[in-house]
Amino acid sequence: MAEGTLAKLARIRGGELSAAENVASALERIQELDRRINSFIELNPNALAEAEAVDRKIKRGERVGKLAGLTIGIKSNINVAGLRATCASRTLQNYVSPYDAEVIKRIRAEDGIIIGMNNMDEFACGSSGETSAFGPTDNPAAPGHIPGGSSSGGAAAIAARLCDLCLGTDTGGSIRNPASHCGIVGLKPTYGLVPRQGLIDLGMSLDQIGPLSADVAGTALLLETIAGRSDNECIMLKVDRVNYSELLREKSLKGMRIGISEKFSELTDPAIMKVIDGQIEKLRDLGAEIVEVDLPNLERGLSAYYLIVSVEFFSGTRKFDGRKYGRRIEDVCGEEVLRRILRGRYISQKEYRGKFYQRALQVRTLVRRELLAAFERVDVIVGPTVPKLPHRLGTKITPMEMYAYDYLTVPANLAGICAGVVNAGRVNGIPVGLQVQGRVLGEPEVLRVMQALEAAG
Amino acid sequence: MNIKIGFEVHQQIATRRKMYCNCPTNYQDVPPNTNVCPICTGMPGAKPLPPNQRAVEAAVEIALMLGCRVYTNQTIYIQRKHYDYPDLPSGYQRTSLPLAGGGSLLGVRIREIHLEEDPGQYDPLGGNVDYNRSGIPLVEIVTEPDMKSPEEARNFLRALVRVLEYTGKVRPEAGGAMRADVNISLEGGGRVEVKNVNSIKGAYRALRYEVIRQREKLKRGLGVERETRAFLESQMVTVPMRVKETEEDYRYIPDPDIFPLILDEGWVEKIRERMAEPPHLRESRLISEYKITRAAAEVIVSERELADLYEAVAREVDPKLVAIWFRTRLKKVLNYMKLRAADIKFTPAQLAGLLRMVRDRQLTPEQGELVLRELAKHPAEPEKIIARLGLFPIKREELLPIIARVIEENQKAVEDYRSGKEEAINFLTGKVLQLTGRRADPREITRLLIEKIGKK
Ligand SMILES: [Zn+2]
Repeated sequence: MAEGTLAKLARIRGGELSAAENVASALERIQELDRRINSFIELNPNALAEAEAVDRKIKRGERVGKLAGLTIGIKSNINVAGLRATCASRTLQNYVSPYDAEVIKRIRAEDGIIIGMNNMDEFACGSSGETSAFGPTDNPAAPGHIPGGSSSGGAAAIAARLCDLCLGTDTGGSIRNPASHCGIVGLKPTYGLVPRQGLIDLGMSLDQIGPLSADVAGTALLLETIAGRSDNECIMLKVDRVNYSELLREKSLKGMRIGISEKFSELTDPAIMKVIDGQIEKLRDLGAEIVEVDLPNLERGLSAYYLIVSVEFFSGTRKFDGRKYGRRIEDVCGEEVLRRILRGRYISQKEYRGKFYQRALQVRTLVRRELLAAFERVDVIVGPTVPKLPHRLGTKITPMEMYAYDYLTVPANLAGICAGVVNAGRVNGIPVGLQVQGRVLGEPEVLRVMQALEAAG
Repeated sequence: MNIKIGFEVHQQIATRRKMYCNCPTNYQDVPPNTNVCPICTGMPGAKPLPPNQRAVEAAVEIALMLGCRVYTNQTIYIQRKHYDYPDLPSGYQRTSLPLAGGGSLLGVRIREIHLEEDPGQYDPLGGNVDYNRSGIPLVEIVTEPDMKSPEEARNFLRALVRVLEYTGKVRPEAGGAMRADVNISLEGGGRVEVKNVNSIKGAYRALRYEVIRQREKLKRGLGVERETRAFLESQMVTVPMRVKETEEDYRYIPDPDIFPLILDEGWVEKIRERMAEPPHLRESRLISEYKITRAAAEVIVSERELADLYEAVAREVDPKLVAIWFRTRLKKVLNYMKLRAADIKFTPAQLAGLLRMVRDRQLTPEQGELVLRELAKHPAEPEKIIARLGLFPIKREELLPIIARVIEENQKAVEDYRSGKEEAINFLTGKVLQLTGRRADPREITRLLIEKIGKK
């Protein structure tokens, strides 16, 4: 087992490992391995200099931030001043960000080192990591298979230990899906917990930025860095910063009520379910109470999700009209991006509004109510993350087959709740992640369950 | 012929910062693309800040002044209105659902009030866009088609502009701050919408043109089809707009990045208590309260500060005398000096002092006007100005010899008057006035002259 995030952080803070050394070794590994994995689109040319500045602080005995010297990959749909936020699309291939997203400001304030911009599905439209205009990403945990998406580069970079932490984004599972396929940890925060100022739109009412890491402690650390109120945008919950790392000191699951649902096994490959059930037994052994909850409409979320996301994506991409940023999106984008734009354009027409978009919003309300009702009886709900194993890179699948990867992840986005993923084991050598869904602002409980499973091994 | 005219008026709200970002709003005073940030230029990833509360407040105040019901305690979505044009950085404009409605002004029903944001300014010749204006808050006022002639429409717009100015929260009309879409239909014809109207005068001309154009078509049995036209200010005509622009579907969706507005009822009531009395209501009140003429009241309420000054002075001196002065001599002095009422520096007490002296015949009205002109230039106590100008009314024993002398020296005019040439008396009055150094009241002089000449 490789070194944990907190152990490495302690070595950097203690002067045992310099931030510059940490960055240099990350760059070396990227140099050596990423030609094959293709998890980065661009590297930060100032990373070493930024690390040296952190080292100087440490040497002078000054206070350093909680991410001091850790290397952090950023999904290419988040603005980092001076680097390209391409969204892995030809439309934005030359777009150099003029400003830092709010989450980037927070990472910099804690002395984290932005190592580079990760590959992704084009405009986060995909669940396989294959739709990038910069080429597909391999799965380091199951080479030759898709890493999942759309935060494909970030998950693969963590799995290959190319950097310490990554920021992904999750609109319908885009953090959790690749975290599951790559055998790492990831978390989609409660909607409105993490500022989106500087995040390029997919589905604005669903998008959240969240952490990807090799261990639960890393996810907690990055989450507490980026989460919490911001007056610089509207749709934020007015919550103060929470110290999740501190809360993780509570290791016991005694008294915790954990929900499971038959619905999950109906929708999921039995081989995957077997691994998940094994983990649920562990939770019971750790002292949690396992409670069956009813989620009759869970799978109805998927089609509602794709209607909502398409309408919002259509709206959000109108600025890529070819006047300011390279070429018009419809002229240069890939199939899936075009499919969503055209679908959004079609169903947002005046005459269809009641028929599609409004009805989708009603289904969304239904799914949300159902989940919130379940959370009156349990603290978290656990189950599989993705209902099937990742396909081999390059396999032709239909759009519906691609969307089917998202059945179990979209409900959390529709409901605005939080959900994390931790590795549960392997099927045919391919990692399978367990999803822990929590209530609105239920991150502490979610992280606690994830940590308990991680510790149980 | 039955004519129906309605408006959608867009007026910039005078806030310090833009609707959804902190950029300043003085877009006309700065070089192109300097009042900009990632938000108002729609950079990828930029999210709106919470709506500018001052803009919301101004829109609510305008709605209240137009007698609208404000839709309190319910969600009012900010919608995205999509269309593709170079001045629109995100490809959509943010516009609220109605936040008030059901008002009226001069008998024209106000259907609804919205909050919007201005797009940038596109120069098709140079192909440049200036985003300084992008994101400036606008209030949109939609009327029912209740106006029956271009003249009535013009009067309505004038009254509306006056209401807007009364709030003190909109940009002055000059400089394209007010824009209107005009709709007009004649009995038997379709509804025609005219865009690109940038002034009251422009609206009037566009309407006059449309009445003639549509009437001619109907007369010749050609029919008027429902369409959207553009007004060409330079040529004073309207022309059809491209079909694409008229058949557009804006694909409205609630903006997912902005919480809907919820207007608190208590907050709206506070605005109602604080707000200025709307000019059309104030006009009626002044007429009944001070027993002044409608003509005078109209002049007095034309500017909020003028009406405030009137009421302050009318409390001190005879309101009717004050009204006459406001309508005539004060208006004349302000026009002559190109002063707006807001620029007046003298106090109500100083003006009241002056008018009291006129009332008590210590000054002639003509002398009073001289003092008023000084007062407007260099405010001071009227007594001081009178002393400085050497203006004090002439005494009777001084005036009588002068009259005698003028009669003596102008026998021809005296004869003319006696033989029925009425205007000769004006000549004689003028002579006397000159010799008194304009210190005597011309009416008094004439009276005395007639007394003397007639006596003979
Ligand atoms: Zn701005």
